[in-house]
Amino acid sequence: MQEILQLEQVCYSYDEHTDALTDCTVGIGAGERIAVLGSNGAGKSTFFLLANGVLTPKRGKILLDGQPVGASGKERNRLRRSVGLVFQEPDVQILAGTVRQEISFGPMNLGLSKQEAAERVDRTMEQLDLTEYRNRAPQYLSGGEKKRVTLADVLAMQPRIMLLDEPTASLDPANTRLLEQTLGQLERQGIALVISTHDVEFAWRWAKRILVFHEGHLVCDAAPEQVFADAELLARCGLRRPMLCEVCEILNMEPRRTMEEFRAACQQATEEIK
Amino acid sequence: MYLTVILTVFVLWSLFTGLCPTPLLAVICLAGAGFLLLFGHHSHGSILPIDRYAQQSHLAAYNPAGKAALSVILLVLCLCSRHPLPPFLLFLTLSCVTVLIGGLHLHEYFSLLSLPAVFVLLSGLALVWDAGTSADAVVSFGWFVITEAGQRTARLVIARALGAVSCLFFLSLSTPMPEILSVLRRLHVPKVVIELAVLIYRYLFVLLSVYGNMNHAAASRLGYDGVRRSIRTTGQVYGNLLASSLRRAGAYLDAMESRCYDGEIRFLEEHKPLCPMQVLFSVLITGAMAASVALTAA
Repeated sequence: MQEILQLEQVCYSYDEHTDALTDCTVGIGAGERIAVLGSNGAGKSTFFLLANGVLTPKRGKILLDGQPVGASGKERNRLRRSVGLVFQEPDVQILAGTVRQEISFGPMNLGLSKQEAAERVDRTMEQLDLTEYRNRAPQYLSGGEKKRVTLADVLAMQPRIMLLDEPTASLDPANTRLLEQTLGQLERQGIALVISTHDVEFAWRWAKRILVFHEGHLVCDAAPEQVFADAELLARCGLRRPMLCEVCEILNMEPRRTMEEFRAACQQATEEIK
Repeated sequence: MYLTVILTVFVLWSLFTGLCPTPLLAVICLAGAGFLLLFGHHSHGSILPIDRYAQQSHLAAYNPAGKAALSVILLVLCLCSRHPLPPFLLFLTLSCVTVLIGGLHLHEYFSLLSLPAVFVLLSGLALVWDAGTSADAVVSFGWFVITEAGQRTARLVIARALGAVSCLFFLSLSTPMPEILSVLRRLHVPKVVIELAVLIYRYLFVLLSVYGNMNHAAASRLGYDGVRRSIRTTGQVYGNLLASSLRRAGAYLDAMESRCYDGEIRFLEEHKPLCPMQVLFSVLITGAMAASVALTAA
């Protein structure tokens, strides 16, 4: 698989003494579904800011389509065109007075013609069910709606990779479900998704691959089954095992990822016993 | 609110005493007081509602440049008037337009008006009451007197001020801030000014909501119990607000840069064409105002 984004031995520090991220080497390919786990201050947000070109690495390099990305503004914008970042707090990201203008900020910065930008914005609003809010002020919307606006902000720029920093952090269960549906849509469009989260249940049912950060180091990059089988790693990084994973182990069956799969497996087992 | 009412009654009495018979004077004073008491409740004490009213106004759908031009022309005409009647009629007309057509509640309009009204009334008071003695005094009260000339000046100044405030309210309660900014952009106001305005406008909301949260958090820990402690807490809240604003400023820039911000803020603008109704209304009201100013000047 051709990797879109590669980080090679990337280091970053906010001050002289401690590295916020040390020797991070990772590659992200098209259409991947990656969850990023780790406690607060483990380096997840720094990783995202580096991958999006907001921060430039102190050491190491970042490659986009195999080409190294320089430190100049133009080079970093090249990275930002392909890799979009949705911030954790919508209030940090939201800028404009109406939803439509807000979503248009990115496409206009890409240097698109007004007509093309308008088309993209309208299409994105339709996709994320925001058309009825087009002239509303985003700052007066509810938490879930604001989140959708910030997703649309980035989606309208048509990135190949989207980084989402703890998108479910302040959402209620209904909005979280809605978000997961939206993620499904994005995935069908072939956009690679990288999501940082503290919700191991979500990581277990959704991710195909998990990155675990701990004290500024990328300590694990593996499939969910492997990550959650490693008790020592989980204890060290302050993570716990997903409920479903645990239950499957107790029942001595193969680990199931979703409740539906688990239910089907249980029904099959009961029928076999009969 | 009650202070405003007392002030209004006093100023109205000062303005018209000696000019009209006592029963009529009493009616004017009571009308002013009654109006304020009925509709003047509900003071928000914040600038946030203006923007929300503008978003919800039925006038928001009209062309912003047209509205801005109309209110500026009317403002100039209002300030040119030599007689208090045209500005006062303008105040009534524009208030009716803002409230009836715009769909704003009367008490919301009046609670917004109460802030500038206090300033207008206080300055009117200073104009109408003179210190010292005068031969042509209408009323004298110790060392303070009301002269007819003072009354005339005060009436004109108050009428002009009310007219001017109603012009600004007509614009700001019907046109959301981003649209006013886009009109300024088309007038070739320097980009730096407009971008500063965009950012200030945006982060005012953030600042106010952070301030609100901090205030609630302080109050929930009894931070405003007693005068001394209130002052201490207020100081701490403001200090914290500064620190957190500086911290957040970095995050906002990061968020803008992550969407390819290159030093210039660009948005798609909504196109709202001028419709015949708006042109007709603007021409009519401008014509009426100009005619009345010219007639009363003659």
